[in-house]
Amino acid sequence: MNQKIKTTTVIRAAFMVFCMALFFATAPAFAGETLNYRLKWLFNTSVAGDIIAETGGFFKKAGLDVSVNEGGAGKNAIKELELGYADFGVASADQVIRALEKGADVVVLAQLFQVNPMQWIYRSNRPEIKALSDLKGRHIGITFGGNDETIMNTLLAKAQLSSKDVRISSVRFNFTPFLKKQVDVWPVYRNSQGVILEEKLAAENEQVKFFNPADYGVSFVANSVVTSGTMMKKHPDTVRTFMTALLSAWEFAMDPANEPRVLAQIKKKDKGTQDDIRQKQLEATRPLIKPDKKTKIGVIDAKAWQQTESIMIKEKQIKAPVDVTSRLVGPTQ
Amino acid sequence: MRFECRGLTFTYPEADKPVLENLHFSMAAPGFNAVFGPSGVGKTSFARILAGGSSGPGGNTLIYENISTILYSYNQERLPGWSCTGRHLEKVCPSKNVDLKKELINIFNVEALLASRFSQLSMGQQNRMNLIRYLIQDFDLLILDESLANVDEALRETIILTIKEMFPTKLFLYISHNLMEVAQFCKDILVLSHPGKGKGAVVVQGQNYKTGYTAAPQAIDRSMLEIMNAV
Amino acid sequence: MLFRRIYQFLIVYCLGVVGLLAIKYAAGLSNYVIPGLTLIFDTAHRMLTGYFLDVLNTLSVAVLGQMVSIAMAFFVGILGRKSSWAGSFIKVMAYNIQAYPIVALAPIIFILMGDGFLSRLLIASMICYFPLLLSVLGIMASPIKDIEHFYIATGRMRWQLEVKIRAFENLNKLTTVIAGSSTLAMAGTIVAEFIAADQGIGYSIRIALYQSDLACILVALFSIGIIISVYQGILETVGEQMKHKWFAPKEGDLI
Repeated sequence: MNQKIKTTTVIRAAFMVFCMALFFATAPAFAGETLNYRLKWLFNTSVAGDIIAETGGFFKKAGLDVSVNEGGAGKNAIKELELGYADFGVASADQVIRALEKGADVVVLAQLFQVNPMQWIYRSNRPEIKALSDLKGRHIGITFGGNDETIMNTLLAKAQLSSKDVRISSVRFNFTPFLKKQVDVWPVYRNSQGVILEEKLAAENEQVKFFNPADYGVSFVANSVVTSGTMMKKHPDTVRTFMTALLSAWEFAMDPANEPRVLAQIKKKDKGTQDDIRQKQLEATRPLIKPDKKTKIGVIDAKAWQQTESIMIKEKQIKAPVDVTSRLVGPTQ
Repeated sequence: MRFECRGLTFTYPEADKPVLENLHFSMAAPGFNAVFGPSGVGKTSFARILAGGSSGPGGNTLIYENISTILYSYNQERLPGWSCTGRHLEKVCPSKNVDLKKELINIFNVEALLASRFSQLSMGQQNRMNLIRYLIQDFDLLILDESLANVDEALRETIILTIKEMFPTKLFLYISHNLMEVAQFCKDILVLSHPGKGKGAVVVQGQNYKTGYTAAPQAIDRSMLEIMNAV
Repeated sequence: MLFRRIYQFLIVYCLGVVGLLAIKYAAGLSNYVIPGLTLIFDTAHRMLTGYFLDVLNTLSVAVLGQMVSIAMAFFVGILGRKSSWAGSFIKVMAYNIQAYPIVALAPIIFILMGDGFLSRLLIASMICYFPLLLSVLGIMASPIKDIEHFYIATGRMRWQLEVKIRAFENLNKLTTVIAGSSTLAMAGTIVAEFIAADQGIGYSIRIALYQSDLACILVALFSIGIIISVYQGILETVGEQMKHKWFAPKEGDLI
């Protein structure tokens, strides 16, 4: 009788372990199953190609069933890759580098933004920022803990300016301090908030200029398409098919000839933005994704990634190098 | 000093029948009087109406002569608990009654309790303490609704006799269930009966014993019988 | 009592961390998703002092906000205790506004008043104000007939005495709601800082979230837990001392 109970207990325990193993095992991605693609932020013009890939039938045509899921404040594509909730994702370079430092198995398939949209806006009637030294004495907004803080610190160091030479204010989610002229130079995403602010100020007969860190040799890579190393190893064909479809969709989305159709598809997902703003945002997005006709969308700028890693080490965002270039598996410049 | 009740009828808001119906009686002259009756006959309701005066629910069925201040005290009252009872008594004692207060404290046997909080006292002690603070106020008529509940018989007798002696010009209405006690010590005893019985309110004379009295058992029995017949 | 609170918190915290680590090792997750023990300790070594100061910063705002809130609740509660039109209106308004998530107003407050101390103080006060107000209103509007009767009958009743009687008789209820509102004030202040402020532990947690740094968040939670445990322990001790002073002891010693 005791022997019988022991055997039953062992069988039950083994069954539980088996179930747990199944639960935690990475879900295989094979034909017929939905692939989850997690974006970095909400649906907006910045993800035009991602939207078109789904709604324009690019994934379907390639024989893939892909669910494009918008991101948000609490969402992290790299974590979802690891937990098995996503098969592909969009993450910024700093996210990739931080994840690599902590042992995450992530690879970069394509670099969507060739130019980082993270820039600073200021009024034209204020002294123009031609050189980095022109930042001296300016009242600059930065998001503490955000990438703009890292970028601005790099710019100030490059200009040999200390925190005492400028006035820094914390930036939240609203533009009020900039609109009230309390803060002089305000961080924006050039192709989204930048467009909105430009319009707002134009309505008040105020013109604006943008200060782009890349113009001063500070290239901090922005959004890129990522997947897990396991996915890459086990399902290289799926990855290849996915990327071909996605980048074709981005080419389509960035083609001015397709603008009306692209805007109509974005509008279905991003209902909150006015049509004219959406059109201007798409216009502003094009040169960031495809700066010139020769550039292939998604090509990876390995040097920019190396610079991003160096900046993060210098700014003590990471403790040691992570050799990020070894994780760049997409086509490079 | 006199008060009269002319046809007082009182019904509770959601009740079918009145609890007091067409009461007619009068009480004249100061003295230690009582209200007696079975449970639920409306003694407390009557007392509260009386305490309300002419401007209360009794309205113009109650007539008072030379009675301006009516106080009503009942046995569930409490003193505030944040300081000792002695302190509370000091605070509510008019300056002219300080000696009276000391005397009452001594007679009521609560001197040892003055440093205690009200919640630390027994029920009998609490009732005595409460009664003292009423007795040291200015009043013409004081209604005592079971104010000596939980006090032992001997001390109750002492207290009643003291009140009669120390407040000869005041009118008291003592509500009690103790038939012998009211028969012995009260002057006029207002006996209430249930409205359905048709007896109304009857005033029976008690023995009105004072300090140093000699008990007359037969007279007491007669009073008690009269009271029971009136119920 | 204080030590009990602290070690109870430590038990809960350690159980939580152990649970996370169990999931980490069972699922083979990297430090990016769930940090390992070494990373947590390293982060604690770097960040703990700063986080303790941040928590104290937030706690000071929460405590002050709670005091303002208590004063306001008593002021309005005492005014609204009568069953007049004003009293009923105050009660209905308090019930309705209590349903709104006050932290949702945090962004508007920060826009109007800026990032500073006053905005956080206002949010902390508003968060615990309405539950306090309802309790105070309920207490102040309920007569204690057995005590008040004498004072009314003898013409001695004043509003100060009435308030004192009702507050004293409901001291247990009041201390419970005040102790509860302290936790509410702290949680609300943290959320408000998280949404839109530039100091305090909520703000530090937001930065940690920007950087997807769960190790920082765990360390921040630890510092919040320890300080809240100490604070609640102090509140309990003060409450016991108050009860000891105000209430008469009932138990005696068996000789």
